[in-house]
Amino acid sequence: MSEHKDNSVNSDIGCLQAIDALYAYLDGELDDPDTTASFERHIQHCRSCYSRAEVESLLTKRVRAAAKSQASAALQARLRHLMDNF
Amino acid sequence: MANTDSSRRFFSASIEDSMDALYGVALRMAGTPADAEDLVADAVAKAWTAFATLDDRSRFRPWIFRILRNCFISDYRKKSIRPVESAYREQIGDDEDDGLAALLNQQSDEFLNWWAEPEHEFFNDILGEAIMSAIDRLPDAFRMTVLLINVEGLTYDEAAEALGVPCGTIRSRMKRGRTLLQKALWRQAIDAGLAIEDDRQGSTDE
Repeated sequence: MSEHKDNSVNSDIGCLQAIDALYAYLDGELDDPDTTASFERHIQHCRSCYSRAEVESLLTKRVRAAAKSQASAALQARLRHLMDNF
Repeated sequence: MANTDSSRRFFSASIEDSMDALYGVALRMAGTPADAEDLVADAVAKAWTAFATLDDRSRFRPWIFRILRNCFISDYRKKSIRPVESAYREQIGDDEDDGLAALLNQQSDEFLNWWAEPEHEFFNDILGEAIMSAIDRLPDAFRMTVLLINVEGLTYDEAAEALGVPCGTIRSRMKRGRTLLQKALWRQAIDAGLAIEDDRQGSTDE
């Protein structure tokens, strides 16, 4: 699987745990400082998980760019008219 | 209780800030721009009527997205061009986490090797379309979760409130939704001749 190297730190996590924490980490949702530290330590030493994190980060940017929509001028005017009449 | 002038100002400003996001999410639910615009207008009207029930104004975003979603489910889903996934269940439980992690582990390496090739910079437009197509084909629960968090920037907590599920469910859906997204993109790349399937992965698909 990966080339994860355990540096005999008790709190270090394996690849499966790192993958499990990956999205929450990238989304800024890992609340526990110990888990965050363990995850960061892991990707510093595991090339496979580091690359995975890079790809996921890039994919998120592309998803955001592809899916961002803009309300048309007509919809904006419709909503403002609606709110003016509340 | 009648809404005050201060309520009206807050509501209008919040809707102004949210118009693009509401339309973007509505479009991915309803499927057509016309239905999406009607859906947003209906949701805004309902939200104003229910504004007194919003106790904490800092929760306006999840609150308005929840109203949008409820509006879609009650009034629009029947005529939506999307298939109704009434039989769909969360499809993930704790007992499946190991399998999920294994899938991610295998698939991401393959996806990574393809994605990381420099010439894919030339395919940005195609990738944009491919990404939208892949998002549109995600099961509803995952599509909404990925959209609210990755596109509209809601926190997991806010997305949980908007979709009416526990925070842990959002976390699971993100993992599963992103895996399905990668899988769909990978499949599209193979079908379009942009990537070559690795036979070793053939038996690992669901």
